[in-house]
Amino acid sequence: MSPTKGTRRRAAAALAGTAALGLLMSACSGSGGDGGSAEADTLIVTSQAGDMQINFNPFSLSRIGGLGTIYEPLFFFNKAQVSDPVPLLGTEQAWNEDGTELAVTLREGVTWSDDEAFTADDVAFTFDMIKNNPSINNSGYDGVVEVVDDTHVVFSFEEPAFVKGPDLLSTPIVPEHLWQDVNPAEDVMENPIGTGAYTFKDFKPQAFTIEANPDYWGGEPEVKEVRTIALSGNQAGADAIAAGTADWITSPIPDIQNTNENFPNYEHYTQWQSQMVLSTCSSAEMGCEGPQTDPAVRHALYYAIDRSQLNSLAFQETAAEMSPTFALTPSQDEFVSDSVSEPVAPMEPDPAQAGQILEAAGWAKGEDGIYAKDGERLTLTVELVSGWTDYITAVDTIASQAAEAGIEIEAAQSSWNEWTEKKGTGEFQLAIDSLWQGPAPDPYYLYTYFFASAAGAPVGETAGNNYSRYSNPVVDEALDAIAQLPTDDAEARQPYFDTIHAEIVRDMPYIPVMTGGTTSIWNITKFSGWPSDEDLYAYPAVWSAFDMAEILKHLEPNG
Amino acid sequence: MSYFLRKLGFYAIALWAALTLNFAIPRMLPGNPVDILLAKLQQRGGTVSPETREAYALLLGGDDSSPLWKQYFDYLGNLARGDLGVSVSYYPANVSDVISQSLPWTVVLVGLSTIIAAVLGVALGAFVGWKPGTWLDSLVPATTLLAAVPYFWLALILTYLLARVLGWFPLQGGYDVTLTPGWNAEFIGSAIHYGFLPALTIVLASIGGWLMGMRNMMVSTLSEDYILTAEAKGLSPRKIMRSYASRNAVLPSVAGFAISLGFVVSGSVITEQVFSYPGIGSRLLSAVQNNDFALMQGVFLFITLAVLGANLVVDMLYGVIDPRTRARS
Repeated sequence: MSPTKGTRRRAAAALAGTAALGLLMSACSGSGGDGGSAEADTLIVTSQAGDMQINFNPFSLSRIGGLGTIYEPLFFFNKAQVSDPVPLLGTEQAWNEDGTELAVTLREGVTWSDDEAFTADDVAFTFDMIKNNPSINNSGYDGVVEVVDDTHVVFSFEEPAFVKGPDLLSTPIVPEHLWQDVNPAEDVMENPIGTGAYTFKDFKPQAFTIEANPDYWGGEPEVKEVRTIALSGNQAGADAIAAGTADWITSPIPDIQNTNENFPNYEHYTQWQSQMVLSTCSSAEMGCEGPQTDPAVRHALYYAIDRSQLNSLAFQETAAEMSPTFALTPSQDEFVSDSVSEPVAPMEPDPAQAGQILEAAGWAKGEDGIYAKDGERLTLTVELVSGWTDYITAVDTIASQAAEAGIEIEAAQSSWNEWTEKKGTGEFQLAIDSLWQGPAPDPYYLYTYFFASAAGAPVGETAGNNYSRYSNPVVDEALDAIAQLPTDDAEARQPYFDTIHAEIVRDMPYIPVMTGGTTSIWNITKFSGWPSDEDLYAYPAVWSAFDMAEILKHLEPNG
Repeated sequence: MSYFLRKLGFYAIALWAALTLNFAIPRMLPGNPVDILLAKLQQRGGTVSPETREAYALLLGGDDSSPLWKQYFDYLGNLARGDLGVSVSYYPANVSDVISQSLPWTVVLVGLSTIIAAVLGVALGAFVGWKPGTWLDSLVPATTLLAAVPYFWLALILTYLLARVLGWFPLQGGYDVTLTPGWNAEFIGSAIHYGFLPALTIVLASIGGWLMGMRNMMVSTLSEDYILTAEAKGLSPRKIMRSYASRNAVLPSVAGFAISLGFVVSGSVITEQVFSYPGIGSRLLSAVQNNDFALMQGVFLFITLAVLGANLVVDMLYGVIDPRTRARS
C-alpha cells in the first residue's frame, strides 16, 4: 500500500511464502524493540535492496546515498504540501516577467567540507557540466548560467521555463575544484565532499555511515550519525523493527495500525502521494484493442469500485481518497476545477449508475449478467505483477465488485519485467499501477508525464510515461500554455487546469482507484521532531533523498 | 591416459555449451534495463520525466544495434580476457568487482555448511546403518522431515526461536557493521556469530539426505560376502565397520559431495534473502530483476564453472580411487 514497491516487491515470487510466514510470526510476537539501537544519537535507517556497492555520485542512478545529506541543492521543495521552497544554498530566486531568466542569490559564508569556500562558480560549473553531459542531464536542462558576482547567478533560457524551476533548483551542487577532472557519469565519488549537514564517515557493503558536519552553515545537526543498513527487503525491514535494530523504515509491517501497541518505541505515520489507478490502453486510434477503449466502460468501472471495502481488504486502511482530476487530495485541492461535479471519487459503489452509463453507450446485459455489445462480452484483463500481494488482493476485490455491475474482470499475473514491457508496448487492456508526482507540489507535472501525447506512442512502439496512449490536443495545448506562466500565478493558470480537468475527467484514460499511502515506522523513544500533520515540513519517506535530509536536520535525540 | 584426455575433451565441450546458453538465456527475458531502472527510480520517489528516460538510455547505452552474432563473439572474446563487463544495476561498477565483493561470503558460509552437513550426515549414517532395525533408525525420518520442510520455513522458525525469542544470534546481516572488515579476531568473531544461524539452517536442511544415503548403502554393504568373510576371520566389529563396510558404502556419497560443492555458489539465494546475508545469491536475484545481463552472465559463469569443475574433479578422483571405472572404459 505504499509506493515502496521498488524495494518491497523485489522479494521474488518464490519468497511470497517467506513473507506469509513472517507476517504470522510478527503478528504473534508482541515482544522485541528493547529501546532501539545502541548509540543514542545514531539514527539507523534501512536500504531494503540487498548489499550495496559504493557510489555517492549524486547524479548516478545507482547511488546509495549522499544526495541532500552531503550534496545540497539550491532550494528544497516540500512535495508533501503546497508551500514555498525552503532556501538551502540559495537564499532568493526570482523569474523575470517572461520566464526566460531566473536570478538566484546564493548563501554567503558556506564552505565545502574540505574547507574550500563555496561560490557562484561552483553553481555555474555544476550546471555547465550537466548540460555538457547529456547522460546525467535527467531534467533536460538547456539554459545558460552566468555568474554575476560571488553570490549571484542568473540562468537564462530561450523559451519561458517557469515549470523547469523546481527541477533546476533541486539540482545538487558539486565543488568545481574536485569535479573538474572527473567523469560525472562514471565516477563513484568514494570520498564525497559537499556542503551538506553531514559528511561521509565509512562504507561497508552491509552499511554506510555519515556523520554530522560541525561546520554546517545551518549549525551542526543534533543527530550525530546516520547509518544506512542493507536489508534484503520488506520482510527484513519488519524484522528489524521488531528486533529494534532500525530506527526508521518506510515499508509496511504486519498489523500496521497497531504499531505503537505492538512495539511501544515505534509509531507509524502515513502520507499519500501515489495515485493508484487501473491504467487502460485507452486509444483505439493508437492501436489499443478491447472494450476499455470505450470511455463508457472506463466510467462504469470507476463507479463499480467499492473503495471503502478495497481499503480494508487490500490496503490495511492506509489508502486515502482520490480525485478524478488527479490533483492530490487534500494537499492540492486548491487546483481542482470548480466545474468538476465530483471532486473526489465516491468511496461507495454505484452499480446502478455504472449500468446506466453502459446502457447509454449501447451495451446490453446478457443472460449471464455480464454486459455485451455487438456480440462482444464486457470482459477485461488486468495485468499485475506476481508477488505484489496488495495489488493482487485489490484486483480480486475489484473483480467481484465489478461483477455486481455486469463487468467481468480477469487477472493476469506476470513478472515485473514482463509487466513493464507490456505497459511500454501497449499490449494490455488494464494494468494496476500508480502515478507519481513531479518535483514540486503542483499537478502540472503529473499531467505532462501521463496525459501529454508527447509521452505516448502507438501500440507496438515503446511509450514513455503516458503508456495509456492518451492523446488529446486540447490537453496538450493547455499544458503548453501553463508552461508559459509563472508557477505562483494561480489565477492565470487556473483556466488551463479547468480545461484539463474537464477533458481528463470525461476521458478517464486512467481509472482512479485510491491514493496509496506511504507509511514510515520510526522510533519515537529515541528521537523527536518527526514530521506530523501539524508540521509536515517534508515528505516522510526514507528513500526520498531530499526529504530525508530535511528530516535529519529536524530530529533531536531524546536521551 | 586416454581416459583422462577424453574426459577433458568432454568437459571442454560442456563448457562451451554452457557459455553459449549463458549468453542466450538472459537475452530472452522480457523488458529492458532502462525501463526497469526507471521504474525502480520512480518507486524510490524520484521523478521520471521524458528527459530522465533519454539521459539514462544514453548512459546505459544500447549495444542492441550490433548484430547478435557480433555480440556473441565479443562476449566470448571478453570472457577469454577475463572481462565480464559493466553491471547496469550497480553502474558503473565492474561485474568482477561486484562478484568478488560477494562471492567470498557465499563460498565460506555455504561451503562450510555443506562440508559440515556432509561429514556429520555420513558419519551418523554409517553408525545408524551399522545397527539397522534399532531405535537409531528413527534418526532417518527425523532428519528427512527437516529436509522435506520447505527451507525458508525452517529458516524462519529457527530465526524466530533462536534470534527473536532467545536472542542468542543476530536476526540479520553478515557481520557487526560497526566493525571494519578485515583479518582481525574481532571481525572474524562477529562474522562467525552472524553466520552461525544461517549455517545451522543449511546444515539441518541438508543433513537428512546424507544420512539416509549413507545408512542405506551401509545396510546393503553389510549383506556383502566380504563382510561375512571378515566376520568369519574374527575381526573386531569396529574394524569391520570402519575399514570394510564404511569404506565401500561411502563411494556414492563422495560423488554426491563433490557435486553438491558445485552448487555451493548457486544454492544461497533464499538463505541470503531470509538473513539479509551479503553474498552472491542476492546479487543474482537483483540482476535478474533488473535485466542486468552482464551481472547475470557473470554469476551464471561462476556457477557453471563451479559445477563443471566439481564434476571434473569427481571424474578424475573416481578414476584414481576406483580402478574399475578406468578398466571398464
